[in-house]
Amino acid sequence: MTEFLENAPIALLAWFLGILGSFGVPGWMLEIISALIVIGTVIGIFLGLFALASVMERKILARVQNRFGPNRVGPFGLFQPVADGIKMITKEDLVPRGADRIVHFLAPVVMMVPALLVLAILPYGRGMVPAELDAGILYFFAVGAGTEVAVFMAGWGSNNKYSMLGAMRAIAQLISYEIPLVMSGITAAMIAGSLMPSAIVAAQGGFIFGFIPQWFVLTPWGFTAGLIFYIGALAESNRSPFDLPEGESELVAGHLTEYSGFKYATFFMAEYVGMFAICGMLVTLFLGGWQAPLPFLTIIPSWAWFLGKVCFVAFTMIWVRATLPRLRIDHLLAFAWKFLLPMSFAAFFSAACWHFAGRGLVAWLLSLAIVAIPYLAFGIHFSSRFAISRRTYRFSE
Amino acid sequence: MMHAALESFCADPVKFLAPWFVLLPAFVLLLSAAAAVVMRNLIHAALCLTLSFIALGVVFIALGAEFVGLVQLLVYVGAVAMVIVFAILLTRPEQLEKSRSVFSGIGPAGGAAIAFGLLATLLGFIFASPLAKKPLPAPAVAPVANIGEALMGNHVVALIVIGVLLTAALVGAAVIAMEDQP
Amino acid sequence: MKSGMRKAETGEDGVLAHVPLPQKILSGLSFPGSGLLKGLVVTIRNFAGSYFEKDRLTTEQYPEERPVLPENARSFPFLIYDGEDPEAGMRCVSCKICEKECPPQCIYIIQDRDEAGKALKRPRVFDIDISVCMSCQICVEVCPFDSIRMDQDYELSSYDRFGSLMLDKPKLLKSNTYYHRIHPTEAAETDARLEADRKKKEAAAAAKAAAKKEPAKPAEGAP
Repeated sequence: MTEFLENAPIALLAWFLGILGSFGVPGWMLEIISALIVIGTVIGIFLGLFALASVMERKILARVQNRFGPNRVGPFGLFQPVADGIKMITKEDLVPRGADRIVHFLAPVVMMVPALLVLAILPYGRGMVPAELDAGILYFFAVGAGTEVAVFMAGWGSNNKYSMLGAMRAIAQLISYEIPLVMSGITAAMIAGSLMPSAIVAAQGGFIFGFIPQWFVLTPWGFTAGLIFYIGALAESNRSPFDLPEGESELVAGHLTEYSGFKYATFFMAEYVGMFAICGMLVTLFLGGWQAPLPFLTIIPSWAWFLGKVCFVAFTMIWVRATLPRLRIDHLLAFAWKFLLPMSFAAFFSAACWHFAGRGLVAWLLSLAIVAIPYLAFGIHFSSRFAISRRTYRFSE
Repeated sequence: MMHAALESFCADPVKFLAPWFVLLPAFVLLLSAAAAVVMRNLIHAALCLTLSFIALGVVFIALGAEFVGLVQLLVYVGAVAMVIVFAILLTRPEQLEKSRSVFSGIGPAGGAAIAFGLLATLLGFIFASPLAKKPLPAPAVAPVANIGEALMGNHVVALIVIGVLLTAALVGAAVIAMEDQP
Repeated sequence: MKSGMRKAETGEDGVLAHVPLPQKILSGLSFPGSGLLKGLVVTIRNFAGSYFEKDRLTTEQYPEERPVLPENARSFPFLIYDGEDPEAGMRCVSCKICEKECPPQCIYIIQDRDEAGKALKRPRVFDIDISVCMSCQICVEVCPFDSIRMDQDYELSSYDRFGSLMLDKPKLLKSNTYYHRIHPTEAAETDARLEADRKKKEAAAAAKAAAKKEPAKPAEGAP
């Protein structure tokens, strides 16, 4: 049963292609059909996740605030995305008079392309990688850089000062957080000895003493790097508390101000698909990819584990959104450059020490010390400057 | 001639079309680079330049230089294009009108002459070099691992020197940024 | 009414009284980043708690669940009739005091007349424009016949700006039973007062009749 479920997606594809082959379809066409099926499935799953996330996010936020959330459309409000979709499509598509029409039109397209392209290299299960690239991690970050161009195009093409300010903030944020993101991602690649996502997942397989999974997140350096990656992922996907480029209350949604109807829906979709993609990357790099957490849980197929972990990380992102308020732009950039970047160097160094100290208990403690000391030092340094004290008034009292 | 082409297309279109995977992005690269030069609108020119960066990356990848192509995308599209765009945004139009560079007096013909002269010099040196006379080596099996081994093996000194340089630059930037205005 | 505010996590004097264990442990700790963890614990407790503790969810899901209105809730005025027949039991005598007192002048009354043109003690037209009415209850206070009272019906939205918001006599007339249902205390009080008045009147009439009878005898033969 386990074996069957594990191989079901691949077997299904092979079976379908076998049938086509028996009808005399040439080999090259089979290859193209197979590729199209894989692409369609991956995009379909992620768009389904997007639809689910758009309603689950609202429901989870509502529950945190002790409300019900959307529960009117369909059972438990699960058809809400359908209603939202119909609303988005039937809305008027406004283009400001002074807008740069071509750039304004192309921006959502450019936004969507990298969001979908990065899905190609994620290992969704055992032997289930749509494109097995040698430099998969590099591909992920290189293609992801395209979103910055899209954000700039949206901000500039709208001919609106709020859009422009939002876009400039967004680009500053994206570039700043890309560095800790890549730096922390590299530690996992370094320990696994490969830039190939499936190799990194394979390096996290197996169990110590038969029950402790060898996920990178369970080592001190991996925990630190994973946390930095997580924070960077929040910032890269423009999510709260790093959602100030869109800051509804001060920038009226930033670079999205002048977008409506289907173009806005495209941005929205790209943002969520990008969020799930980066969650998938986090899972691949630090949370053991499709590996099961305990030996007896391997009866659940690997792709289900991957999907489950991605959904869990996405849930924590919504949880964080429900908890933390928005940062100020200078605090945001200072946090990236003065805290995350040095900490990612510390994690990098710690990972190297862990590797050369033999990956045992001593290595574990050593690596803990290397990340904990700078963390505490930074913490004490920053908290001494921003100590909470009783508010003093200069003129009253 | 036509018949033969059609036959080879039907036999294996993927193989038949393979050169176009390089040629098509190369055309895009040339067109967008030309557009970047010709466009009056600075932002459009910058976006065309970005497109040419992307096309160059795709050309590298199509030629099998996966790593170089991806680094091209990461560095040029992710960082350099954005720096250019920021520079344009932070420059006022009136400053652009006033600024006169050393070369602004020579006109388009002079500019073209300089560009072609540079191209001719480069091509001359490339074809004169001994590398051009050697036959092409067979493509490497695992390019990324090979690049890594080459960097950590033969070129480790260069790597470390660049690392020190970049670290120094980063520390310098951090020191400059550390001075908070209260 | 359910209260939206739950008992505060920290007591008035700052003592952590009813705080659950994870928060108690965290509140004692202080390290860089502990504030974030404390916040996350608070939100996840609210998230999970909303599935188990029903009194957290204060939302009334309106069309299915309706609010229990307090007895003195009021929306717009209506007219009371006694008995079964709205026209016959109508208390209104068309005195037009309410029409004159109404601050936004939303009441419009035409007195009924018989064939001979004699004024009758009932209105022919009684309209209230609830798009103008401000629910001030002055009409209720000035009515000497206890015939106009405040309704509690709040589902009055309509597709039509004028027609549906102009309530005419048939729409305004509601039975005393309905009045008892929506304002039980007030209705009982009114009924008791009316009954007392009626009794007093009856007694007065009886006394008058008796008084009339007594001196009527000598008067009978007088003219």
